[in-house]
Parts: sequence; C-alpha cells; structure tokens
Amino acid sequence: MKKTPFDLAIPVEDISSCVSCGLCLPHCPTYRATQEESASPRGRIALMRQAQRDSSIDDAFVGFMDSCIQCRGCETACPAAVPFGSMMEKTREALATQTSYQPRWRRFGYSFLGKPRLLRLGSIGLAVLQRLRMVPRRLPLPKLPFVQKALIDSGSDVWLYTGCIMDAWMRETHLSAQRVIESTGAGVKFPLKGASCCGALHVHAGLAPEARALAKKTMASFPGEAPILVDSAGCGAQLKAYGELVGTEEAEVFSRRVMDVHEWLAERLEQLPTTQEPRPKVVVQDPCHLRHVQKAHESVHQVLEQYVDLIHLNDDGLCCGAGGAYATFHPEVAKEVRERKLSLIRSVEAEEVASANPGCLLHLQAGGVRVRHPLEIIDGLLTRES
Amino acid sequence: MPEEISPEVLAFATEIGSSGLVTVAGGRTQWTVGGSPLEGVREVTAPSGIWAYEPEEMTVRCGAGTTLQELSAALSKYGQMVPFDLSPSATVGGALAVGRSGYRRLRYGHIRDFVLQVRHIDHKGQVVSAGGPTVKNVSGYDLCRLMVGSLGKLGCLAEVTLRCLPIPQTSKWLTGRQDPFDVFAKLYRPSAILWDGDQVWVCLEGVSSDVEAQSDLLDLEETAVPPRLPDRGRMSLAPKALKTFDRPSGNWVAEVGVGVVHMEQPNADPAISNINLSLMRELENRLDPGGRFNPGRKVLSE
Amino acid sequence: MQKSLQDNLFSDLQTLLGERARDGDFELGLYGKDGSVLEGRPSIVCLPQSTSEVQEIVKICRRYDTPFLARGSGTGLAGGAVPIGEPVIIATAKMNKILEVDLDNRIAWVEPGVLNLDLSNELLPLGFHFAPDPSSQQVCSIGGNVANNSGGPHCLAYGVTSAHIAALEVVLPDGQIAQFGDLTADGAGYDLRGLFVGSEGTMGITTRIAVRLTQNPPEVRTLLLDFADVRDGAAAVSAIIAAGLIPAALEMMDKRAIEIVEAFVNAGYPTEADAVLLVELDGLPGGVEYGVELVRSVATRHHVGNVRVAADEKERALLWKGRKNAFGAVARIKPDYYLHDTVVPRGKLVEVLEKVYRIADAHDLIAINVFHAGDGNLHPILAFDSSEKGVLERVHAAGRAIVTASIEAGGVLSGEHGIGLEKRDYMGMLFSAHDMATQDLVREAFDPDGFANPLKVLPTGSRCSDSFGQHVPDGAWV
Ligand SMILES: Cc1cc2nc3c(=O)[nH]c(=O)nc-3n(C[C@H](O)[C@H](O)[C@H](O)COP(=O)(O)OP(=O)(O)OC[C@H]3O[C@@H](n4cnc5c(N)ncnc54)[C@H](O)[C@@H]3O)c2cc1C
Ligand code: SF4
Ligand code: SF4
Repeated sequence: MKKTPFDLAIPVEDISSCVSCGLCLPHCPTYRATQEESASPRGRIALMRQAQRDSSIDDAFVGFMDSCIQCRGCETACPAAVPFGSMMEKTREALATQTSYQPRWRRFGYSFLGKPRLLRLGSIGLAVLQRLRMVPRRLPLPKLPFVQKALIDSGSDVWLYTGCIMDAWMRETHLSAQRVIESTGAGVKFPLKGASCCGALHVHAGLAPEARALAKKTMASFPGEAPILVDSAGCGAQLKAYGELVGTEEAEVFSRRVMDVHEWLAERLEQLPTTQEPRPKVVVQDPCHLRHVQKAHESVHQVLEQYVDLIHLNDDGLCCGAGGAYATFHPEVAKEVRERKLSLIRSVEAEEVASANPGCLLHLQAGGVRVRHPLEIIDGLLTRES
Repeated sequence: MPEEISPEVLAFATEIGSSGLVTVAGGRTQWTVGGSPLEGVREVTAPSGIWAYEPEEMTVRCGAGTTLQELSAALSKYGQMVPFDLSPSATVGGALAVGRSGYRRLRYGHIRDFVLQVRHIDHKGQVVSAGGPTVKNVSGYDLCRLMVGSLGKLGCLAEVTLRCLPIPQTSKWLTGRQDPFDVFAKLYRPSAILWDGDQVWVCLEGVSSDVEAQSDLLDLEETAVPPRLPDRGRMSLAPKALKTFDRPSGNWVAEVGVGVVHMEQPNADPAISNINLSLMRELENRLDPGGRFNPGRKVLSE
Repeated sequence: MQKSLQDNLFSDLQTLLGERARDGDFELGLYGKDGSVLEGRPSIVCLPQSTSEVQEIVKICRRYDTPFLARGSGTGLAGGAVPIGEPVIIATAKMNKILEVDLDNRIAWVEPGVLNLDLSNELLPLGFHFAPDPSSQQVCSIGGNVANNSGGPHCLAYGVTSAHIAALEVVLPDGQIAQFGDLTADGAGYDLRGLFVGSEGTMGITTRIAVRLTQNPPEVRTLLLDFADVRDGAAAVSAIIAAGLIPAALEMMDKRAIEIVEAFVNAGYPTEADAVLLVELDGLPGGVEYGVELVRSVATRHHVGNVRVAADEKERALLWKGRKNAFGAVARIKPDYYLHDTVVPRGKLVEVLEKVYRIADAHDLIAINVFHAGDGNLHPILAFDSSEKGVLERVHAAGRAIVTASIEAGGVLSGEHGIGLEKRDYMGMLFSAHDMATQDLVREAFDPDGFANPLKVLPTGSRCSDSFGQHVPDGAWV
C-alpha cells in the first residue's frame, strides 16, 4: 500500500504509557464488533506509535483511526491511565490538516452545525420530507416539528445550554429539563444570541480550529458566574474541555461552571418534588461521554431513582455505537455495536430506556426500543400528577 | 542447577539399568489392569519412604513405592490427606500409574491433579524430572499428567511430590432411596454420590453445621460406611449417560456426577481414535523405544 | 522468505479467507507483540472463523514450509504469542462462540477465542462459572488459558486450568483434527489432553474446548487485612494455610503496590500499611463463617492492623478491581514494566521477597510486589523507563537474579505465565539437559518438524528439530 509522509506529534510520555496489557479490549465497542486488533485501543495506540516512528502512513492507517468511535470506554478500563482520547484527537487533527481525511463536503456539513438558522431551515425541510414519507424510517431521526415552542427565561439562577441539532430537533427535552430544574425552585436562563454548537463533532473529526472558533462564540453567550447546565452528555463533555481546547484562563473558568444537569439535580435531591405516580421500570443507558469522560453517570441514576425502578446493564458502560456523527459515517459498525446493547436491553424487563445523550437516544430509538431522556421521563411523571 | 536427586532414586535407576525387560510391582492391588506382564520379566520395586513433608506447605515428597497407608499415617498426624480412597496397601506410584481416582473425585477432582512433580527412570536408566515441587508450576511440558495412567509403560515412577488437603472437620455418609440426579442437583459440592440402581449413598464433608444443613435437603438416613465397590470391571461414561445407560448384569455401583461405574462384570477397554492411537504409539516409541517397560501390559489395545 | 513464495502463500490464504487474510504493513506490526516486552513480526495474519479454516491454514502453511503460531487475545506475559522467524499468525479472536452449555455433564463447549470472563458472565444466571480466573480474565481467551495452563487468585482452592478442561478439539501440526479427552470420567489411553494443556501452542491449535463448570458458591466473604510489616503478612499467609484452611483466594500486595492501586481504584486500601492480604472465603455459610474467624485469629497472632470485611457485593468487587488491575496501574509510575512469575515454597516468601528488593536496589530499579501468596506465586514487577540508557540490560540482569533466587529457595521458573520465549533459556536452571531432551521427545511426537510456534518453551540446544534454526534475534528484547 502506498505510504505518504505524516507528522504526528503525540508526547512520548503519552504514547509510551500503554503497556499493551489488553485490559481495554473488551471495553472497546469496535473491538467487540470485529475482534480485530486494528479496531482496538491497544492496536490503535500501537499504530500511532508506528506512524510516529516511521513518519509515514497509508490508507489502511487512516481507516483504522477513522473507525474509532471516540467513546473513551478504553480510558475507563485502562489501569495505566493512557490518555487515549487526547491521543486520538491529535491523530485526527494531524489527519485533517495533512491529508484529505476530511474532504470539502464533510467540512461543509460540519460548518452547518455552527449556523442555527440554517440548521433550523434544514430541519423544516427534513420535517416536510418526513411527512411525505421520503425519509427512511431506519435513519436515526426523531419526529421533526414544523413549528418550535419558544424558550422562555424564568430567572437567572442557572443557564441551560441548548446546542445545535438538539435544539433544532429535540427542543421538548430542553423544556422538560427546564421544568424539572424549576421544580427545585430555581430560575432558568437560556443562552444569549450567538451560542450554537459546542464543537464536539468538530474536535472528533480533527477540526480543532473550527471547534475553537465555536467555543469562543459559545463562551461569550453565557456571561456571569451562574452554573451552566447541560442536558446532552456529549455537549457537556466538550464544554468541560474548553479549558484544554482553547487554552486560556477564561476558558478554564468557563469549563468549571459547566455541569451536567443531573449533577446539579443530584445535589438537590431533597428539593425535587415527590409524586404518587407508580414507579415505572426503566433501564438506564450510560452515555459514554457521561460515564467515561465526565464520570457523572451516577448522578443520572440518583436522580432517576427518585421516580423509577432503575435497571442497570451489566456491560461496564459499553458504547451503543452512536458516537456523534459516527453512526452516519459508519452505519454498519454502528449497527453491530448497537445490536449488542439492544440484546442486553431486551433481556431485561423494562418499559423504556433512559438516555441522557440525544445522539445515543436517537441511535437506540432507530433500533426499535422506546427511549427518552431521563428528564423527560421525570417531567412526564411530575406533570401527569399535577 | 537442577535439584539434587536423592540416593534412593539413583539406586533405583541403577537397578533398572539400561537394558532388559522390567516391570515395577507396587501393592499388587490393581495388578491386572491392562493385563499381566509377560512371564520372566524382571520385577523391581520402587523406593519407599516419606522424604520431605512440610505441613505448612501442604506438599509431600515420597518414594513411589510408599504405601497409601504409610502416606496417610504421616499426613493425618497434621490433619492432612491426599484423597486417593484406594486400598491402603496400594503404593503411591502404583495408584498413579493406574490413574484411577477414588470415589471422592466428585469433590476433589482427579488424582492426577494432586501430582506436582514426578521423577521417573527412563529406558536408558536415567532419572527424568518433570514438574516442580511447588503447589503451582507451569515450567515446561506437563509430563506429570502424562505419567498418570500410563501403567508404567513410559518410564518407572521413582519419586512423586503431591499436594495435600486438610482433612475435613466432619465427614458423613447418608443412604436411602432417592433419585440420585435429584440429589446431585440439590447439593453444593458433595464429596461423593454413589448409586447401585436402587439405593443411593452420599458423602458430605465440611464443618458440621454445613453438613447438617446439606443433609436436611435430602431424604436419607445416616450410615456408617459406604457400599463395597465391585472391582472386576469398570466402565467410564459421561455423567449424563448414567441416566440412560444399559445397566450391566451383576452388582454395580455408579459414581453420580462423575460417570464411573464399578462392576462385577469385566468389560472391554474403550476405543481410541486412530489419530490418537498413532500419537500415543509415537509417545511409546520415543520414550521406550525398546519396549523395555511392562511388556505384556497394555495401555493401548490392538 | 522469498518474495514470490510469500506472495503465493498469501494468495492461497486469501483464496481461503478472503479479507480475513492480512499482510498490510501496519497490521502485521500489530500482531508482533503480546502482553510481554518482546516483539517479533509475522509474515501474514489469518483470522479464521472455524475449525476447518484453521485446518486449511495449517495445511497451506505446511505446503509452503512456513511455521505458524496461534494467538488468542495476546495478553501472554512470556512472549508465547510473539512471532519469531516470520510465521503465519492464526488469531482465534473471531472464533468466539459459546457452542453449548451442558449442565447435565457440567461442561460447556466453547471456541478458543471466547473471553474467560464472558464465559463466566454467561454462566452466572445458571449458577456456574469457569474457575480459572487470571487477573487478565476480562480479556484473555480460553484457548490462551489452555495453552498456558493459566491460573488465577481462585486457583488456590480450585486448581489451575488443567483441572478444568475435559476435552479439546485440536488441529495437529500436520493438519489432522483430533480430540483429546472426552466427557467420560477416565478417558482412554495416555492423557493427551493433560499434555496439551500448558504446551503453549507447540503441539497444535485447539479449536473447541470442553471446560468444566464449577458451582457458584452460596456464600462469599472477602477480607482485607493490613500489616505494618510485610514479614508479618507473609507469616500470616503460611499460618492460615497451616491452620488447615484453604481460602478461595489469598493475595498479597506490598506497600508500593497498595499506593499505586489505590490511586487507580480508590477502594480505600490502607496506603500507610506495609502490606495487605486480600483473603476470600467461599462455600457453604458455616464453613465461610468458620474461615473468617480462623483468619481473624491467625492474623491477630501475626499483628494484623485492621481487618476489613467487604460489606456487600459492590465493596467486594471494588477490592478485587484493585488487585486485578495492579499490573497495568504500575504504568502510572513508570512507562514500562517487566513482570516476573516464579513460585517459591510459602515458607520462603519473606526471604525471597527481601532478596527481590535487594536485587532491584542493586540494579537501580523499582520492584513492586502483588501476587498469589497462597500458593507462593510471586509476581515481582520491575518498573522502568525504556528511554533510559542501558536500563534494559539492568532489567534483564535483575530478572535473572530474581529467577535464580526463587529456584535456590526451592521454587520453579513459572507459576502460570508459562515459559514462552522469555524463559526458555532459563529452563536449564530447573531441568537437566536430559530432562529437557525428554520433554523435547514428547513435543516431537506431536510436531516432529517444529512447525507449531517454533522456538518456544525449550532452549534451542535441547531440540533436535529446530528446522527454522534461528536463535532468538536480539531485536526481540525490546
Ligand atoms: C494484566 C495481566 C494480568 C495477567 N494475570 C494473569 C494471571 O493472574 N494468571 C495467569 O496465569 N496469567 C495471567 N496473565 C497472562 C495471560 O493473560 C494468560 O497467560 C492468558 O491465558 C493468555 O491468554 P491469551 O488469550 O491472551 O493468549 P495469547 O497471549 O494470545 O497466547 C498465549 C499462548 O497461547 C497460545 N495459544 C493461544 N491460543 C491458542 C489455541 N487456540 N491453541 C493453542 N495455543 C494457543 C499462543 O501460541 C501462546 O503461546 C496476565 C496478563 C496480563 C496482561
Ligand atoms: S475510544 Fe472507544 S472506540 Fe475508540 S478505541 Fe477507545 S474504546 Fe475503542
Ligand atoms: S490502553 Fe491501557 S488498558 Fe489498553 S493495552 Fe494500553 S495500557 Fe492496557
């Protein structure tokens, strides 16, 4: 295979921290789907090492890197604290800048995410096609609305981050989150104009400069010191990483204000209203960016347990295969990874699945199970009672 | 710097020498298994004696000619045992060469899994060590397992090191009429379940409260002794096959959960596939090219 | 290998396997290593999905006079799966189905690529498990366990892999398929099954395995004992066993290990202690209760500090998580480690441990000890940074000294990791030339031409049939 020069600069102490023990393998969704070393964390690290040593790569290398979901399940499993996420991000960035890894059309697609108006227009277009049954059912799309309910501030105790696609497609979730937050007596404020995409998908794709530009816009739309609550695990993880991404004091301070909305609620369990509603049986799916990156999945469990009988899956938080844009670009692997999760879900007796990340939620839903955001489930129980 | 070989073993090697047909006699308790050796073959006996016993290590090294009685006398002083469950006059080497476990195999496993190290004398009259003296060891090929059940056809066992177990605090036999497979399913790691097609005997071991609680699960009466095991024939089945097997004529007692049937009736050896047979012959030819050991006796039937 | 020959070999394998035969530069690099620090390079990697594919691969290799090598999950620590002499790698990872669970016979038939913990998890609702539980159990394959006769913490009471394998389907080095052992109690003829277990892939490739199932214990109790002096801890180990108790597991960690592990799992290990013992008792409630009290009283006699009994399953899992991740966690203090595996009589633990520390000091290395104390199975870890000049020589010298010290204390070369490539040249420390020649005779009965995993287990000199003749290349020691 043809080799092309490649300059990969991962710090030695990071790349040599892997002792190739393999303990991460079973926690890697792509290894689980393929049983191939090249689709495993240990393998990908060895490949990076080889690329760095030889200063050259081939197409196979690009494929192996591209097949990583960046779920970072391997980080949780790794006893040696190998910083896999950041190594993979550096590799993707080098690929995006030195090769045709991110072709024009893809970059164009990503740039959409930072433009709320265009995104909104596009979504309405999709909504029309959906009603005309011209969008295949298996695509991970929710039922898209023509008209959106307005987001109305109710105070200024906390910010609620709204994001890009999620706001265009799943605004109901934000409204549920707002009501649950308000039920503790706090007032919610929505971001100022200019906030848009968090840039997570861009970072994953290796488009760090684009992500930085988005970060700056986003940071500017949350003035003050109030905590910034996030109801999407993927966005939350990215906002918490602005410190590293942007590298300024201001970004550090911003990141420290970010909390997953469940983390904030878990600190206020006694303020949450009670209900007489029967407790449904709910199986919880831990989104990777909540469990492996933010390590905040237990707060979702704590909050949900106030209202439902919670069932956990015995898979150490193995990824469901959604992975932001991953399912779009790697539908086969994503589906195979999802199948494993679905069969586990089907093996337990539950009425529905709770997922605190919109990407996972849509991906699982497209697999044919009922999935809602934890706060939508709780909001449903609370409003049913009143 | 491999370990030094004891003078008894070296003397045994000299006795066996490098030529002539040889058979090792143990306690003659299972002398006819595999057939009797040819007339006139020189008969030798392996050295005997407990050579190293460290109760804290739970390991014992002894001459292959040591009788089980001697062995258990030494071990029981420290509350330990090796669960051979064979005739007391059998020798350790003989028991291993024949390789038939006792009736408590259900709990303690096959006797070959108690063997840590074996020294045997090969066809050249030289000492060969395999395995190691510690309770755990994966250094090199596992010739110890190969030697167990080899009927002395691959070499003469001279010295063995065994792993010991603590003697259980309580040991109790129960008997009566109850479905043996039902009994098997109910109990947690019983020591033995024997069944003669009508009556069932169960051996429970452990601390007394557990033994009591386990016996309460059954519909059986306490008894002093296990049944006598017929010893003229022996059939080896899969545990499940006992549910449906063709019952032999005459008395028989089966080990439920294990699959061994002890019978009055002698029976034919099980068949060996051609591939395995040729591998086994390769082993015989390589380890005893002149066919010096135990001529007449056969592990592999024609 | 000649270029054209290699091309033909590859194209034959490709015809058989399609895209599951690989020779890409990057991918070959991936299969050059296992969990050890050794490295080689295969000529081709094959990813078969069935016994018959394995058989065909072996036959094709034989046609091209090319050696081959089975690989499971590549977690072996003795370099058993490291390809030397450009063999074809036969990776079993895709053969990962549990074929049959047969509770009447208390066995399960599995393919070799099934992961150890996956099997036990699958059996959990049925009330059974596969007893050998190497610390790598979440990822190591059953085929690898068989090949290395692997052990684990719970093998103290339950025995190592060999005691838990009823039967094996094997593709022999000449391409024939055989079955060793069966489900009957005694089997027929010589114990080929017992010989194959632990043969590290040099007698063929196992493609189907009947593992014995062990009942899950009704009661389990896990205790963490801390000691202000490692000597007291080691003495307590011997005393517990001497008191007539065989715990399900009896593990020890020294001070450094405790610190490193605690930083990773936050299990509340006492970082001020000099050593901790992790003791597990299982079985029927009476026996477990009796055991807990006995351990308590023995430990008290040996100046135990705290005795912590895990309150629930969660705490128990946390205590074990620390132990099972200890090796990897070492990488937090140094990027590389060299893990040794020797066994000494329990009574010599203290003596040998102290020697290990002295040896490490003398070679300017850090030694960390976390090991299966109950069966005297030491795992000294030498932590180092391979970018330091000359460090590898020191690591190897220290390693040799540790192995020597263990054998002098009446121990053996390896308790569970096997000999592989790493220790084959140490075999002479434990065995005489004649012992090794006899072992080689046995191996040759299976593989007279040395095609299966060449250059492993026995040192070059002891074999009559090293047809691939090379010595271990220096480059392998990276
Ligand atoms: C963190 C860590 C902890 C560990 N802890 C333990 C422990 O507690 N106890 C222990 O015993 N080991 C331990 N090990 C070592 C290792 O995990 C075991 O030896 C394991 O059994 C190897 O399995 P594998 O699938 O990775 O085999 P591999 O490393 O892939 O192969 C090992 C050997 O098996 C052969 N082989 C593999 N599959 C087959 C097959 N189908 N047929 C024939 N030969 C085959 C290979 O050729 C090779 O020689 C540990 C390793 C690590 C990294
Ligand atoms: S980030 Fe996820 S997909 Fe990528 S290597 Fe790690 S575990 Fe595998
Ligand atoms: S990434 Fe971590 S867990 Fe995976 S092989 Fe490397 S050190 Fe082991």
